[in-house]
Amino acid sequence: MKKIIYLIVFGIAALVVLGGLRSSKIDSDFDLAAFAELPVQVGGRIKPLDSVARNTLLILSARQKVVTDEGLTLSPIEWFLDLTMRPELADTYPVFKIEFPDDLGLVGLAVQGQRYYSFNELLPFSEELRRLYGEINPAPELRSPYEKQIADINNGLMRYHRVMHSLHPIGGAERLDRLVDEYQSYLATIQPGMVELRKQQAGEEFDAALLKRFITFADDYLKLSTTAHLRVVPPPPPVDPLEDWKNIGLELLDVMKGKPLSPYVTSYASLTMAYRSADAEQFNREVSELRERFIADFPGDISRVHHERVFNALQPFYISMQLYVLIFLAVCISWLRWPKELAQAAFWVLVIAFLIHTSGLVSRMYIQGRPPVTNLYSSAVFVGWGAVLLGILIEKFFKNGIGAAMASLVGFCTLIIAHHLAMTGDTLEMMRAVLDSNFWLATHVVIITFGYSAIFLAGALAILFVLLGVFSSRFNKDTARSLSAMVYGIICFGTLFSLVGTILGGIWADQSWGRFWGWDPKENGALMIVIMGAIYLHARWGGICKERGLMALAICGNIITAWSWFGTNMLPVGLHSYGRMDSAYAWLIGFVLAQVILIATALLPWRFWRSEFGQSKDRKERMPISGARQGAGT
Amino acid sequence: MKLLFQFFSSLKLTVVLLSFSLLLIFFGTLDQVQYGIWHTQELYFESFLVVWAFPEHAPLGQYLHWIRIPMPGGYLLGGMLLINLLAAHFTRFKLSWAKCGIFLIHSGLILLLISELMTDILAVESQMPVDEGGSSNYSQGFRENELVFIDRSHPEHDSVHTIPASLLKPSKRINVPNTPLSIRTIRYHANAEIGRATNGSPTESIATRGAAVRMGIIVNPKPETYSEEEINTVSAFVEVFKGEASLGIWLVSNVMDERFPPQMVDAGDRSFEIALRFTRHYYPFEIELIDFKHEKYPGTEVPFNFSSEVKLTHQDSTKNQKALIYMNHPLRYEGLTFFQASFANQDKTSIFQVVRNPGWLLPYLSVLLMGLGMCAQFGRHFFKFLGKQRG
Repeated sequence: MKKIIYLIVFGIAALVVLGGLRSSKIDSDFDLAAFAELPVQVGGRIKPLDSVARNTLLILSARQKVVTDEGLTLSPIEWFLDLTMRPELADTYPVFKIEFPDDLGLVGLAVQGQRYYSFNELLPFSEELRRLYGEINPAPELRSPYEKQIADINNGLMRYHRVMHSLHPIGGAERLDRLVDEYQSYLATIQPGMVELRKQQAGEEFDAALLKRFITFADDYLKLSTTAHLRVVPPPPPVDPLEDWKNIGLELLDVMKGKPLSPYVTSYASLTMAYRSADAEQFNREVSELRERFIADFPGDISRVHHERVFNALQPFYISMQLYVLIFLAVCISWLRWPKELAQAAFWVLVIAFLIHTSGLVSRMYIQGRPPVTNLYSSAVFVGWGAVLLGILIEKFFKNGIGAAMASLVGFCTLIIAHHLAMTGDTLEMMRAVLDSNFWLATHVVIITFGYSAIFLAGALAILFVLLGVFSSRFNKDTARSLSAMVYGIICFGTLFSLVGTILGGIWADQSWGRFWGWDPKENGALMIVIMGAIYLHARWGGICKERGLMALAICGNIITAWSWFGTNMLPVGLHSYGRMDSAYAWLIGFVLAQVILIATALLPWRFWRSEFGQSKDRKERMPISGARQGAGT
Repeated sequence: MKLLFQFFSSLKLTVVLLSFSLLLIFFGTLDQVQYGIWHTQELYFESFLVVWAFPEHAPLGQYLHWIRIPMPGGYLLGGMLLINLLAAHFTRFKLSWAKCGIFLIHSGLILLLISELMTDILAVESQMPVDEGGSSNYSQGFRENELVFIDRSHPEHDSVHTIPASLLKPSKRINVPNTPLSIRTIRYHANAEIGRATNGSPTESIATRGAAVRMGIIVNPKPETYSEEEINTVSAFVEVFKGEASLGIWLVSNVMDERFPPQMVDAGDRSFEIALRFTRHYYPFEIELIDFKHEKYPGTEVPFNFSSEVKLTHQDSTKNQKALIYMNHPLRYEGLTFFQASFANQDKTSIFQVVRNPGWLLPYLSVLLMGLGMCAQFGRHFFKFLGKQRG
């Protein structure tokens, strides 16, 4: 029996992990993995095209796949290939997510039950959409949900258009099929075209047809240079890492100044033609040529770009998220049946999930060359990671599944939060100058965030205490005592980390703007966590609160930490407002309300507690004298 | 007496005070939306009592704007916490190894509270813009103003006689230091709109001399602003006397700066330039900006580094030096600290934040104490716990 339970739990875990690994593989004659790794400069960093494809899709569709009307599922890079090389096909893919199409007031657009729309479906309404866009509130933070939706669609269409023209000029199928010829004829036109232009300016006789052809090219590429979204053309070697890359249009224009045309441009042209004519062999040859060139020019970057593509495909946080659910369920079941085996199996799965979570965290650090926490998204990932680490430690000592369950709960919730924060696009962005300090990011930010982990974990344990105490008849004194010890230990930890982190923050502030403490919202939030911890500890040491009072305080810690983490970012003030957000307001209020209800539950009179623990407290209260004697005895 | 001592040293009081601090900080954060960071700081943390009012512009403001919550201010809470802590240590604590962690943490805390108070009272922040190739020997406050009388008669240097704007209360006679002059404020506006009188608007002005008369400048009072992006246009009508004889009434304002022709006060043998300006702090050295760099991440507008290469020329030439000031790397010099704060003028001007804070080292010391204390305290708990688990 024992073995079977282990087998079942590990079997499911293996399925989850393998499922994640398998979904990252794509079957195709085209070497999509190599194409996905081609470099592009975005936000000051060299990334694989794969990341661009994913982020674009996230912004448009809020997911990392495309499901065509025929029911085919495309990976981001397959979609990106079609978007840039077979736009006529990509225009039929439903990639624009419109949550409430009926509210737009566009007659004939909304289809019952359909939330994803293709470019072709939106095309007839583009005039109207643009008009509506002109009427909405220009300040993004003041827009109503309806106006936000209008703005999202318009911005989405714009982005779609710009990404589409990242690899070649704007034009129909016949143009894309002859790209290589076009560039050749352009190159051949430049010299004589310039001569004719000079003649015209000097008032001499000139070849009007030739000049017109030249000017058409110039106009066209000028337009392209303002449209093309991606900087895919690296500067010629020797390479300066701080130099701007160019988009295709800019590179084509610069040829007029006498510079040679970058081979990247012509390679992308042949790539496009090969893909359009379904010539996989030619396509793969071109891709590997491009790749070789990149490796030769940027020997230090290729492994990072490769790693980023693999990291994107494996989605380690997604896998660990699923494992956390499995662990939570396993532990919950273990409290009803097979306590020892299930709890132990769950513990080991927790360790595996933690390792996968860690690998994701480390990958991000490697890709970005930064400590783990650089923005709100990464802080969410890190809070979960820290909570799981602490949960594993608790589980080592107490071995009753409680630590594992609550750690997996916090891990899951924070990864869900991270998932939603990722919807805005790139989560590996560059740091603004004042934040550009690995030392302080590694100390102050990491320590503060670890403090969040601890306080949230303590809060989760306290919630468990209250729920079990009030609703579960099996909750006894021993469990109560061990839960109290866990919460106490974790809060000690959390207070230590919050205090040290806050003070380090003060030192950083003193180093960077000469003010140890400026009462900035984020600083205040951190200080509030420290004070909350101090209140808990003093209330405990002074015997001011007993078990459940302390639990109520620990749940209060959840509110304070949530405020410090998200609430302060919602205020339109402060020096720390780098991670601003306008939505999620309702979520914060909901979370706080839930905590208030839990606190109220914790303070229910003992007679409403169904547990053995609560009942015995109730008896003590009713018989004050004997209770006191008993109390003195323990 | 004993009861009082018991009250002040009790842990209950600690918890109550800490809870109030939590509230104070929370509301002191919320009100920054309305009052900006500086004013909120004065209202909440540098005060004894504060009343929070539900802001009218917040959601539900029209129904709830009558809500008021009074609470103790930062000085009161900080002071009480200090008393509480000291009293507790006198009554309950015996210095022992077991308690040394707590003791260290608390001493660190006391030091931190004191250093914060010192900073509140003693620290001076100002800004110093320097152009590339240019130099400067003073910095400028960005909230405080001063009334100045400048005597430019000396060929080598000017002599500047100042009166802080906070003293410009109407109807008080103040002597201008080291001059035969005295002044009386007729009217003072903490913020105002200053403009030329146009047709239709009232042109009457109480000024009798200076630019206000010559250019027909009028003053419309405005409520003080607390925004960090705006400045208060401080303006005053000042009557100047030599002995008992009135020389006339001048309008002065901090927006009437170098772009305006100087306003002169003729005091017979000497004449003075009169002006109201942001408080200046002069130094015995000059900072020359050799080069300012503003680097961006490739392909973006996101700044990646700001740095200023400077040369310091001191009156005492043994103190001359060169330095590079950049993000997170300030220059500490002569009791002052220079930070790269901002830039202007198409990257040709660098703006330094200049801070004089005699207590800047105290937080570092307090951190050390608290860190040691925490390690001792929680380490002891942890090992005790481990021991229990094993046993």
